[in-house]
Amino acid sequence: MSMRSQVYEWSNLAPGTVVGGGVGSVLNRSQNDLPVQVPANVSTDIFIGGIGNNITKPAETTATQFIVIEDISCTPDLAGSVQVRINTTDYFQNPDVTQMNGVPGTASPYPRGAPSVNPTGTGANTATGTVITTFPDNLLKSFDLYPDIYVLPGQVFQILYTTVQGTGATAFAGNTAGQVVSAFVKYTLYDGPDALIANKLLELGVTINPNNIDWYKRSLIEQQTRSAVAAAAAPTNGGGQ
Amino acid sequence: MSMRSQVYAWNGANNNTTLANNAATAYGTFNNLSGTQISIFIGGFGNNITKPAETTATEFVVIEDISCTPSLNANAGVATNDIAGVIAGAGAAANGVGNAAAQLNTGQLATWQLTNNLAAGAAYTGCSAGVFGPRMYVQVRINTTDYFLNPDNVTNAGIPGTASPYPRSLDFQPSFNLYPDVYVLPGQVWDVRVTSFARDSAAAASIGAGGATVAVAYTGDWGKAPAGTAGIVAGDAVMNGIDFNAFCKYTLYDGPDALIANKLLEMGISINPGNVDWYKRSLLSAQGM
Repeated sequence: MSMRSQVYEWSNLAPGTVVGGGVGSVLNRSQNDLPVQVPANVSTDIFIGGIGNNITKPAETTATQFIVIEDISCTPDLAGSVQVRINTTDYFQNPDVTQMNGVPGTASPYPRGAPSVNPTGTGANTATGTVITTFPDNLLKSFDLYPDIYVLPGQVFQILYTTVQGTGATAFAGNTAGQVVSAFVKYTLYDGPDALIANKLLELGVTINPNNIDWYKRSLIEQQTRSAVAAAAAPTNGGGQ
Repeated sequence: MSMRSQVYAWNGANNNTTLANNAATAYGTFNNLSGTQISIFIGGFGNNITKPAETTATEFVVIEDISCTPSLNANAGVATNDIAGVIAGAGAAANGVGNAAAQLNTGQLATWQLTNNLAAGAAYTGCSAGVFGPRMYVQVRINTTDYFLNPDNVTNAGIPGTASPYPRSLDFQPSFNLYPDVYVLPGQVWDVRVTSFARDSAAAASIGAGGATVAVAYTGDWGKAPAGTAGIVAGDAVMNGIDFNAFCKYTLYDGPDALIANKLLEMGISINPGNVDWYKRSLLSAQGM
Protein backbone atom coordinates (compact mmCIF):
# COMPACT_ATOMS: atom_id res chain seq x y z
CA MET A 1 0.00 0.00 0.00
CA SER A 2 2.28 2.76 -1.21
CA MET A 3 -0.44 5.25 -2.08
CA ARG A 4 -2.90 5.84 0.67
CA SER A 5 -5.75 8.28 1.05
CA GLN A 6 -5.58 9.77 4.54
CA VAL A 7 -7.55 12.23 6.62
CA TYR A 8 -7.06 14.09 9.88
CA GLU A 9 -9.91 15.65 11.80
CA TRP A 10 -9.35 18.07 14.66
CA SER A 11 -11.82 19.40 17.20
CA ASN A 12 -11.28 21.53 20.27
CA LEU A 13 -12.36 18.67 22.50
CA ALA A 14 -10.38 17.27 25.41
CA PRO A 15 -11.31 15.76 28.76
CA GLY A 16 -12.31 18.15 31.51
CA THR A 17 -15.10 18.91 33.89
CA VAL A 18 -18.64 19.98 33.25
CA VAL A 19 -18.01 23.20 35.13
CA GLY A 20 -14.64 24.07 33.69
CA GLY A 21 -14.87 22.67 30.20
CA GLY A 22 -12.12 20.74 28.46
CA VAL A 23 -8.49 21.40 29.17
CA GLY A 24 -5.48 21.30 26.89
CA SER A 25 -4.97 18.53 24.38
CA VAL A 26 -5.32 14.79 24.17
CA LEU A 27 -3.87 12.07 21.97
CA ASN A 28 -6.90 9.82 22.05
CA ARG A 29 -10.49 10.91 21.87
CA SER A 30 -12.82 9.87 24.64
CA GLN A 31 -16.43 10.13 25.67
CA ASN A 32 -15.50 12.63 28.36
CA ASP A 33 -14.22 15.25 25.93
CA LEU A 34 -15.51 18.76 26.44
CA PRO A 35 -14.93 21.99 24.51
CA VAL A 36 -11.55 23.64 25.09
CA GLN A 37 -11.38 27.37 24.69
CA VAL A 38 -9.78 28.51 21.44
CA PRO A 39 -8.51 32.07 21.79
CA ALA A 40 -9.44 34.66 19.19
CA ASN A 41 -6.99 35.51 16.45
CA VAL A 42 -4.45 32.90 17.45
CA SER A 43 -3.37 30.34 14.85
CA THR A 44 -3.52 26.87 16.33
CA ASP A 45 -1.67 23.93 14.82
CA ILE A 46 -4.24 21.16 14.60
CA PHE A 47 -1.50 18.55 14.99
CA ILE A 48 0.52 19.78 17.97
CA GLY A 49 -1.15 23.05 18.94
CA GLY A 50 -1.98 21.97 22.48
CA ILE A 51 -5.74 22.27 21.99
CA GLY A 52 -8.11 19.38 21.36
CA ASN A 53 -6.96 16.12 19.81
CA ASN A 54 -3.28 16.20 18.86
CA ILE A 55 -0.61 13.82 17.62
CA THR A 56 2.73 12.90 19.11
CA LYS A 57 5.04 14.99 16.93
CA PRO A 58 4.95 17.60 14.18
CA ALA A 59 3.59 16.38 10.88
CA GLU A 60 6.49 15.81 8.55
CA THR A 61 7.53 13.67 5.66
CA THR A 62 10.47 11.31 5.82
CA ALA A 63 13.00 10.98 3.01
CA THR A 64 10.83 8.31 1.41
CA GLN A 65 7.46 10.02 1.73
CA PHE A 66 5.61 12.53 -0.37
CA ILE A 67 2.32 14.11 0.68
CA VAL A 68 -0.26 15.78 -1.50
CA ILE A 69 -2.81 17.84 0.43
CA GLU A 70 -6.06 17.73 -1.48
CA ASP A 71 -8.63 19.36 0.76
CA ILE A 72 -8.79 21.52 3.85
CA SER A 73 -11.91 22.75 5.59
CA CYS A 74 -13.16 23.92 8.97
CA THR A 75 -16.21 24.93 10.95
CA PRO A 76 -17.70 28.01 9.32
CA ASP A 77 -18.96 29.51 12.59
CA LEU A 78 -16.95 32.08 14.57
CA ALA A 79 -15.18 33.28 11.43
CA GLY A 80 -12.91 30.26 11.39
CA SER A 81 -10.21 29.84 8.78
CA VAL A 82 -7.65 27.22 7.97
CA GLN A 83 -4.13 27.79 6.66
CA VAL A 84 -1.40 25.46 5.41
CA ARG A 85 2.19 26.10 6.46
CA ILE A 86 5.10 24.26 4.82
CA ASN A 87 8.21 24.58 6.97
CA THR A 88 7.87 28.29 7.82
CA THR A 89 5.95 29.46 4.77
CA ASP A 90 2.22 30.07 4.79
CA TYR A 91 0.50 28.93 1.62
CA PHE A 92 -2.37 31.40 1.45
CA GLN A 93 -1.49 35.07 1.24
CA ASN A 94 -3.30 38.34 0.72
CA PRO A 95 -2.90 40.02 -2.67
CA ASP A 96 -0.40 42.37 -1.06
CA VAL A 97 1.61 39.33 0.03
CA THR A 98 0.81 39.84 3.69
CA GLN A 99 -0.22 37.15 6.12
CA MET A 100 -3.81 35.98 6.29
CA ASN A 101 -5.76 33.40 8.22
CA GLY A 102 -6.28 31.14 5.23
CA VAL A 103 -9.37 29.65 3.66
CA PRO A 104 -12.52 30.67 5.55
CA GLY A 105 -14.81 27.91 6.77
CA THR A 106 -17.67 29.56 4.94
CA ALA A 107 -15.80 28.87 1.68
CA SER A 108 -14.70 25.37 2.64
CA PRO A 109 -17.10 24.20 5.35
CA TYR A 110 -16.70 21.10 7.46
CA PRO A 111 -18.93 19.21 7.41
CA ARG A 112 -20.24 20.09 4.01
CA GLY A 113 -23.83 21.10 4.43
CA ALA A 114 -23.13 22.48 7.88
CA PRO A 115 -24.98 25.53 9.12
CA SER A 116 -22.99 28.75 9.04
CA VAL A 117 -23.79 29.21 12.72
CA ASN A 118 -23.40 26.41 15.24
CA PRO A 119 -26.76 25.09 16.43
CA THR A 120 -27.76 26.95 19.53
CA GLY A 121 -30.74 27.52 21.71
CA THR A 122 -32.74 30.66 22.18
CA GLY A 123 -33.85 30.00 25.70
CA ALA A 124 -32.41 28.67 28.87
CA ASN A 125 -34.68 25.80 29.69
CA THR A 126 -35.44 23.04 27.27
CA ALA A 127 -37.93 21.44 29.58
CA THR A 128 -40.33 24.28 29.03
CA GLY A 129 -40.13 23.80 25.32
CA THR A 130 -38.83 27.27 24.70
CA VAL A 131 -35.78 26.14 22.80
CA ILE A 132 -36.25 25.34 19.17
CA THR A 133 -33.11 25.11 17.17
CA THR A 134 -33.05 26.39 13.67
CA PHE A 135 -30.60 25.49 10.96
CA PRO A 136 -30.69 28.48 8.68
CA ASP A 137 -28.58 27.20 5.84
CA ASN A 138 -26.60 24.28 4.48
CA LEU A 139 -23.25 25.61 3.37
CA LEU A 140 -21.58 24.06 0.38
CA LYS A 141 -18.01 24.65 -0.66
CA SER A 142 -17.04 27.68 -2.69
CA PHE A 143 -13.40 26.67 -2.62
CA ASP A 144 -11.63 23.74 -4.17
CA LEU A 145 -7.97 23.17 -3.30
CA TYR A 146 -6.68 22.87 -6.85
CA PRO A 147 -3.86 22.70 -7.66
CA ASP A 148 -3.03 20.52 -4.70
CA ILE A 149 -0.34 21.36 -2.17
CA TYR A 150 2.81 19.24 -2.25
CA VAL A 151 4.80 18.42 0.85
CA LEU A 152 8.19 17.26 -0.37
CA PRO A 153 10.35 14.67 1.41
CA GLY A 154 11.85 16.05 4.59
CA GLN A 155 9.45 18.97 4.95
CA VAL A 156 7.40 19.83 8.02
CA PHE A 157 3.82 20.90 7.47
CA GLN A 158 1.22 22.45 9.67
CA ILE A 159 -2.50 23.04 9.34
CA LEU A 160 -3.39 26.17 11.27
CA TYR A 161 -6.89 26.93 12.49
CA THR A 162 -7.76 30.50 13.41
CA THR A 163 -11.03 31.89 14.71
CA VAL A 164 -11.50 35.63 14.70
CA GLN A 165 -14.13 35.51 17.42
CA GLY A 166 -12.74 32.79 19.66
CA THR A 167 -14.78 30.17 21.44
CA GLY A 168 -16.32 30.40 24.88
CA ALA A 169 -14.23 29.94 27.96
CA THR A 170 -16.43 27.52 29.84
CA ALA A 171 -18.45 24.70 28.51
CA PHE A 172 -21.63 25.43 30.32
CA ALA A 173 -21.29 29.05 31.32
CA GLY A 174 -24.18 29.86 29.05
CA ASN A 175 -25.81 28.98 25.84
CA THR A 176 -23.29 30.87 23.78
CA ALA A 177 -20.19 29.52 25.47
CA GLY A 178 -18.25 26.38 24.87
CA GLN A 179 -18.51 26.15 21.12
CA VAL A 180 -17.06 23.12 19.40
CA VAL A 181 -15.09 23.83 16.24
CA SER A 182 -13.34 21.44 13.88
CA ALA A 183 -10.84 21.41 11.07
CA PHE A 184 -10.30 18.72 8.48
CA VAL A 185 -7.54 17.86 6.07
CA LYS A 186 -7.57 15.20 3.37
CA TYR A 187 -4.28 14.17 1.83
CA THR A 188 -2.66 11.32 -0.05
CA LEU A 189 0.51 9.77 1.32
CA TYR A 190 2.94 8.36 -1.22
CA ASP A 191 5.54 6.12 0.30
CA GLY A 192 8.59 4.22 -0.95
CA PRO A 193 8.78 3.75 -4.74
CA ASP A 194 5.65 5.80 -5.28
CA ALA A 195 7.27 8.75 -3.49
CA LEU A 196 10.23 8.49 -5.87
CA ILE A 197 7.84 8.52 -8.81
CA ALA A 198 6.05 11.51 -7.29
CA ASN A 199 9.37 13.36 -7.20
CA LYS A 200 10.01 12.40 -10.80
CA LEU A 201 6.58 13.69 -11.85
CA LEU A 202 7.31 16.92 -10.02
CA GLU A 203 10.50 17.29 -12.04
CA LEU A 204 8.56 16.62 -15.24
CA GLY A 205 5.92 19.17 -14.30
CA VAL A 206 3.18 16.56 -14.25
CA THR A 207 0.43 16.79 -11.64
CA ILE A 208 0.90 14.27 -8.85
CA ASN A 209 -2.13 12.09 -8.36
CA PRO A 210 -2.69 8.33 -8.22
CA ASN A 211 -3.61 8.19 -11.91
CA ASN A 212 -0.39 9.82 -13.01
CA ILE A 213 1.69 7.67 -10.69
CA ASP A 214 0.12 4.61 -12.31
CA TRP A 215 0.71 6.11 -15.74
CA TYR A 216 4.40 6.56 -14.96
CA LYS A 217 4.64 2.97 -13.74
CA ARG A 218 3.04 1.74 -16.92
CA SER A 219 5.46 3.82 -18.96
CA LEU A 220 8.39 2.22 -17.18
CA ILE A 221 6.98 -1.24 -17.76
CA GLU A 222 6.35 -0.55 -21.45
CA GLN A 223 9.86 0.86 -21.79
CA GLN A 224 11.32 -2.27 -20.22
CA THR A 225 9.20 -4.47 -22.45
CA ARG A 226 10.34 -2.61 -25.57
CA SER A 227 13.96 -2.89 -24.45
CA ALA A 228 13.57 -6.62 -23.85
CA VAL A 229 11.96 -7.13 -27.25
CA ALA A 230 14.68 -5.10 -28.94
CA ALA A 231 17.39 -7.04 -27.15
CA ALA A 232 15.81 -10.34 -28.18
CA ALA A 233 15.48 -9.17 -31.76
CA ALA A 234 19.06 -7.92 -32.04
CA PRO A 235 20.74 -11.30 -32.83
CA THR A 236 18.04 -12.08 -35.38
CA ASN A 237 18.61 -8.79 -37.16
CA GLY A 238 22.21 -9.41 -37.87
CA GLY A 239 23.75 -10.22 -34.57
CA GLY A 240 25.43 -13.22 -36.20
CA GLN A 241 27.02 -11.27 -39.03
CA MET B 1 -20.98 -12.96 -12.55
CA SER B 2 -17.29 -12.50 -12.02
CA MET B 3 -17.39 -8.80 -11.21
CA ARG B 4 -19.98 -7.84 -8.67
CA SER B 5 -20.73 -4.57 -6.99
CA GLN B 6 -21.40 -5.27 -3.33
CA VAL B 7 -22.47 -3.31 -0.28
CA TYR B 8 -22.64 -3.99 3.40
CA ALA B 9 -24.71 -1.75 5.64
CA TRP B 10 -24.40 -2.05 9.38
CA ASN B 11 -26.68 -0.77 12.10
CA GLY B 12 -25.87 -0.88 15.78
CA ALA B 13 -29.30 -1.95 16.90
CA ASN B 14 -29.31 -5.41 18.32
CA ASN B 15 -30.66 -7.99 15.95
CA ASN B 16 -32.73 -9.74 18.52
CA THR B 17 -36.31 -9.15 17.51
CA THR B 18 -37.53 -9.89 20.98
CA LEU B 19 -35.60 -6.96 22.40
CA ALA B 20 -36.08 -3.23 22.00
CA ASN B 21 -33.49 -1.42 19.95
CA ASN B 22 -31.68 -0.14 22.95
CA ALA B 23 -31.94 -3.28 25.01
CA ALA B 24 -28.77 -5.01 25.97
CA THR B 25 -27.67 -8.12 24.13
CA ALA B 26 -25.36 -10.73 25.51
CA TYR B 27 -22.59 -8.37 24.46
CA GLY B 28 -24.10 -5.22 26.00
CA THR B 29 -25.26 -2.22 24.04
CA PHE B 30 -23.23 -0.52 21.37
CA ASN B 31 -24.13 2.94 22.61
CA ASN B 32 -22.31 2.22 25.84
CA LEU B 33 -19.18 1.07 24.10
CA SER B 34 -17.52 4.42 23.75
CA GLY B 35 -13.98 4.42 22.41
CA THR B 36 -13.92 0.73 21.55
CA GLN B 37 -13.33 -0.25 17.95
CA ILE B 38 -15.85 -2.80 16.73
CA SER B 39 -15.97 -4.84 13.56
CA ILE B 40 -19.12 -4.28 11.57
CA PHE B 41 -18.83 -7.85 10.32
CA ILE B 42 -18.20 -9.89 13.43
CA GLY B 43 -18.09 -7.35 16.25
CA GLY B 44 -21.00 -8.82 18.16
CA PHE B 45 -23.14 -5.70 17.88
CA GLY B 46 -25.87 -4.96 15.37
CA ASN B 47 -26.16 -7.05 12.24
CA ASN B 48 -23.20 -9.35 11.73
CA ILE B 49 -22.05 -12.07 9.38
CA THR B 50 -20.99 -15.62 10.12
CA LYS B 51 -17.21 -15.33 9.74
CA PRO B 52 -14.52 -12.71 9.17
CA ALA B 53 -14.53 -11.08 5.75
CA GLU B 54 -11.78 -12.59 3.67
CA THR B 55 -10.86 -13.28 0.10
CA THR B 56 -10.24 -16.76 -1.22
CA ALA B 57 -7.37 -17.58 -3.57
CA THR B 58 -9.61 -16.75 -6.52
CA GLU B 59 -11.12 -13.54 -5.22
CA PHE B 60 -10.02 -9.92 -5.30
CA VAL B 61 -11.90 -7.18 -3.45
CA VAL B 62 -11.68 -3.46 -4.15
CA ILE B 63 -13.14 -1.29 -1.39
CA GLU B 64 -14.47 1.86 -3.00
CA ASP B 65 -16.33 3.67 -0.25
CA ILE B 66 -16.74 3.60 3.50
CA SER B 67 -18.91 5.87 5.57
CA CYS B 68 -20.72 6.10 8.88
CA THR B 69 -23.10 8.25 10.88
CA PRO B 70 -22.07 11.92 10.94
CA SER B 71 -21.99 14.38 13.80
CA LEU B 72 -22.52 18.09 14.03
CA ASN B 73 -20.79 20.61 16.25
CA ALA B 74 -22.99 22.65 18.51
CA ASN B 75 -22.72 25.04 21.36
CA ALA B 76 -22.36 23.09 24.55
CA GLY B 77 -25.31 22.84 26.83
CA VAL B 78 -28.05 23.69 24.41
CA ALA B 79 -30.91 21.82 22.90
CA THR B 80 -30.96 21.00 19.24
CA ASN B 81 -34.22 19.23 18.94
CA ASP B 82 -37.76 20.35 18.99
CA ILE B 83 -38.54 19.36 22.52
CA ALA B 84 -41.65 21.50 22.38
CA GLY B 85 -42.98 19.42 19.54
CA VAL B 86 -42.32 16.25 21.43
CA ILE B 87 -44.09 17.49 24.48
CA ALA B 88 -46.99 18.73 22.41
CA GLY B 89 -47.55 15.20 21.25
CA ALA B 90 -46.71 15.36 17.57
CA GLY B 91 -44.98 12.10 17.10
CA ALA B 92 -44.10 12.16 20.72
CA ALA B 93 -44.63 8.51 21.44
CA ALA B 94 -42.65 7.44 18.40
CA ASN B 95 -39.89 9.86 19.25
CA GLY B 96 -39.78 8.37 22.66
CA VAL B 97 -38.54 5.12 21.24
CA GLY B 98 -36.14 6.88 18.99
CA ASN B 99 -37.41 6.46 15.47
CA ALA B 100 -39.67 9.34 14.61
CA ALA B 101 -38.89 11.10 11.41
CA ALA B 102 -41.58 13.56 12.37
CA GLN B 103 -39.21 15.03 14.90
CA LEU B 104 -36.50 15.48 12.36
CA ASN B 105 -34.84 18.85 12.64
CA THR B 106 -32.04 18.42 10.24
CA GLY B 107 -31.00 15.79 7.75
CA GLN B 108 -30.51 12.42 9.26
CA LEU B 109 -30.44 13.71 12.79
CA ALA B 110 -33.84 12.26 13.44
CA THR B 111 -34.35 10.93 16.91
CA TRP B 112 -31.38 12.79 18.30
CA GLN B 113 -32.07 15.11 21.16
CA LEU B 114 -29.25 17.16 22.53
CA THR B 115 -30.64 18.37 25.77
CA ASN B 116 -29.68 21.24 27.95
CA ASN B 117 -29.80 19.09 30.99
CA LEU B 118 -28.11 21.58 33.23
CA ALA B 119 -30.69 24.21 32.56
CA ALA B 120 -33.50 21.72 32.76
CA GLY B 121 -32.36 20.48 36.08
CA ALA B 122 -33.26 17.07 37.30
CA ALA B 123 -35.80 16.50 34.58
CA TYR B 124 -33.01 15.50 32.24
CA THR B 125 -30.43 12.91 33.04
CA GLY B 126 -28.36 13.41 29.94
CA CYS B 127 -25.67 15.90 29.12
CA SER B 128 -24.49 17.56 26.02
CA ALA B 129 -20.95 18.62 25.47
CA GLY B 130 -21.20 20.40 22.21
CA VAL B 131 -21.40 17.60 19.68
CA PHE B 132 -24.67 16.60 18.13
CA GLY B 133 -24.18 13.03 17.00
CA PRO B 134 -22.19 9.90 17.79
CA ARG B 135 -18.65 11.14 16.96
CA MET B 136 -18.28 8.05 14.86
CA TYR B 137 -15.26 6.91 12.83
CA VAL B 138 -14.67 4.06 10.42
CA GLN B 139 -11.37 2.30 9.76
CA VAL B 140 -10.31 -0.36 7.26
CA ARG B 141 -8.04 -3.15 8.43
CA ILE B 142 -6.24 -5.53 6.09
CA ASN B 143 -4.97 -8.58 7.96
CA THR B 144 -3.54 -6.78 11.00
CA THR B 145 -2.75 -3.42 9.40
CA ASP B 146 -4.96 -0.37 9.81
CA TYR B 147 -5.24 1.68 6.65
CA PHE B 148 -5.71 5.18 8.05
CA LEU B 149 -2.91 6.74 10.07
CA ASN B 150 -2.19 10.08 11.67
CA PRO B 151 0.66 12.12 10.18
CA ASP B 152 2.89 10.77 12.94
CA ASN B 153 2.22 7.27 11.57
CA VAL B 154 0.15 6.28 14.59
CA THR B 155 -3.06 4.48 13.73
CA ASN B 156 -6.22 6.48 14.30
CA ALA B 157 -9.91 5.74 14.52
CA GLY B 158 -10.33 6.20 10.78
CA ILE B 159 -12.53 8.37 8.62
CA PRO B 160 -14.94 10.59 10.53
CA GLY B 161 -18.58 10.08 9.66
CA THR B 162 -18.76 13.83 9.38
CA ALA B 163 -16.32 13.63 6.45
CA SER B 164 -17.90 10.55 4.88
CA PRO B 165 -21.49 10.52 6.08
CA TYR B 166 -23.94 7.66 5.84
CA PRO B 167 -26.62 8.23 4.94
CA ARG B 168 -25.86 11.32 2.92
CA SER B 169 -28.19 14.28 3.09
CA LEU B 170 -28.34 17.98 2.35
CA ASP B 171 -26.94 18.61 5.80
CA PHE B 172 -24.17 16.08 5.53
CA GLN B 173 -22.27 15.72 2.30
CA PRO B 174 -18.95 13.98 1.84
CA SER B 175 -15.66 15.83 2.26
CA PHE B 176 -13.83 12.59 1.64
CA ASN B 177 -13.57 10.28 -1.32
CA LEU B 178 -11.79 6.95 -0.93
CA TYR B 179 -9.37 7.35 -3.81
CA PRO B 180 -7.17 5.49 -4.50
CA ASP B 181 -9.30 2.49 -3.63
CA VAL B 182 -8.26 -0.09 -1.08
CA TYR B 183 -7.27 -3.45 -2.55
CA VAL B 184 -7.81 -6.71 -0.69
CA LEU B 185 -5.59 -9.27 -2.35
CA PRO B 186 -6.40 -12.99 -2.57
CA GLY B 187 -6.06 -14.73 0.77
CA GLN B 188 -6.25 -11.59 2.89
CA VAL B 189 -8.62 -10.98 5.78
CA TRP B 190 -10.23 -7.56 5.82
CA ASP B 191 -12.38 -5.71 8.23
CA VAL B 192 -14.30 -2.47 8.53
CA ARG B 193 -14.26 -1.23 12.11
CA VAL B 194 -16.25 1.53 13.73
CA THR B 195 -15.56 3.57 16.82
CA SER B 196 -17.87 5.99 18.56
CA PHE B 197 -16.90 8.45 21.23
CA ALA B 198 -20.43 9.08 22.44
CA ARG B 199 -22.15 7.27 25.21
CA ASP B 200 -25.56 6.79 26.62
CA SER B 201 -25.95 8.77 29.78
CA ALA B 202 -27.61 5.80 31.41
CA ALA B 203 -24.12 4.77 32.33
CA ALA B 204 -23.27 8.20 33.72
CA ALA B 205 -20.68 8.21 36.43
CA SER B 206 -18.95 10.99 38.23
CA ILE B 207 -15.46 12.28 38.30
CA GLY B 208 -13.57 14.26 40.86
CA ALA B 209 -12.43 17.74 39.92
CA GLY B 210 -10.54 19.75 42.45
CA GLY B 211 -11.94 17.70 45.23
CA ALA B 212 -15.49 18.14 44.06
CA THR B 213 -17.56 15.54 42.35
CA VAL B 214 -19.31 16.65 39.21
CA ALA B 215 -21.42 14.88 36.69
CA VAL B 216 -19.70 13.50 33.65
CA ALA B 217 -20.69 15.08 30.40
CA TYR B 218 -20.47 12.52 27.67
CA THR B 219 -19.57 14.11 24.39
CA GLY B 220 -22.13 13.52 21.73
CA ASP B 221 -24.63 12.29 24.24
CA TRP B 222 -28.17 12.99 23.23
CA GLY B 223 -29.37 12.58 26.76
CA LYS B 224 -32.43 10.95 28.10
CA ALA B 225 -35.99 11.94 27.84
CA PRO B 226 -37.30 13.81 30.87
CA ALA B 227 -39.01 11.59 33.37
CA GLY B 228 -42.70 12.09 33.66
CA THR B 229 -43.07 14.32 30.63
CA ALA B 230 -46.25 13.64 28.75
CA GLY B 231 -45.77 11.64 25.62
CA ILE B 232 -42.30 10.45 26.42
CA VAL B 233 -41.38 7.25 28.10
CA ALA B 234 -39.59 8.19 31.27
CA GLY B 235 -35.88 7.58 31.04
CA ASP B 236 -36.10 6.25 27.54
CA ALA B 237 -32.73 6.49 25.91
CA VAL B 238 -32.89 8.85 23.00
CA MET B 239 -29.60 7.49 21.72
CA ASN B 240 -29.41 3.80 21.12
CA GLY B 241 -27.90 1.32 18.78
CA ILE B 242 -30.22 2.18 15.94
CA ASP B 243 -28.57 5.60 15.69
CA PHE B 244 -25.23 4.09 14.65
CA ASN B 245 -24.77 3.26 11.01
CA ALA B 246 -21.88 2.23 8.84
CA PHE B 247 -21.64 1.44 5.16
CA CYS B 248 -19.10 -0.18 2.89
CA LYS B 249 -19.22 -0.38 -0.89
CA TYR B 250 -16.84 -2.73 -2.67
CA THR B 251 -16.46 -4.68 -5.88
CA LEU B 252 -15.79 -8.40 -5.76
CA TYR B 253 -13.76 -9.86 -8.60
CA ASP B 254 -13.93 -13.61 -8.80
CA GLY B 255 -12.36 -16.34 -10.90
CA PRO B 256 -10.74 -15.14 -14.15
CA ASP B 257 -11.51 -11.53 -13.33
CA ALA B 258 -9.56 -11.86 -10.09
CA LEU B 259 -6.59 -13.11 -12.10
CA ILE B 260 -6.92 -10.12 -14.40
CA ALA B 261 -7.16 -7.84 -11.35
CA ASN B 262 -3.86 -9.27 -10.12
CA LYS B 263 -2.34 -8.69 -13.54
CA LEU B 264 -3.54 -5.08 -13.58
CA LEU B 265 -2.04 -4.62 -10.13
CA GLU B 266 1.31 -5.83 -11.43
CA MET B 267 1.02 -3.44 -14.35
CA GLY B 268 0.23 -0.48 -12.13
CA ILE B 269 -3.22 0.00 -13.58
CA SER B 270 -6.16 0.94 -11.38
CA ILE B 271 -8.45 -1.97 -10.81
CA ASN B 272 -11.97 -1.18 -11.81
CA PRO B 273 -14.53 -2.90 -14.01
CA GLY B 274 -13.65 -0.72 -16.99
CA ASN B 275 -9.97 -1.64 -16.88
CA VAL B 276 -10.72 -5.33 -16.34
CA ASP B 277 -12.89 -5.22 -19.45
CA TRP B 278 -10.16 -3.33 -21.32
CA TYR B 279 -7.67 -6.09 -20.46
CA LYS B 280 -10.07 -8.76 -21.67
CA ARG B 281 -10.52 -6.90 -24.95
CA SER B 282 -6.74 -6.61 -25.27
CA LEU B 283 -6.40 -10.38 -24.87
CA LEU B 284 -9.09 -10.98 -27.46
CA SER B 285 -7.44 -8.54 -29.86
CA ALA B 286 -4.10 -10.28 -29.40
CA GLN B 287 -5.79 -13.50 -30.43
CA GLY B 288 -7.08 -11.86 -33.58
CA MET B 289 -10.68 -11.65 -32.51
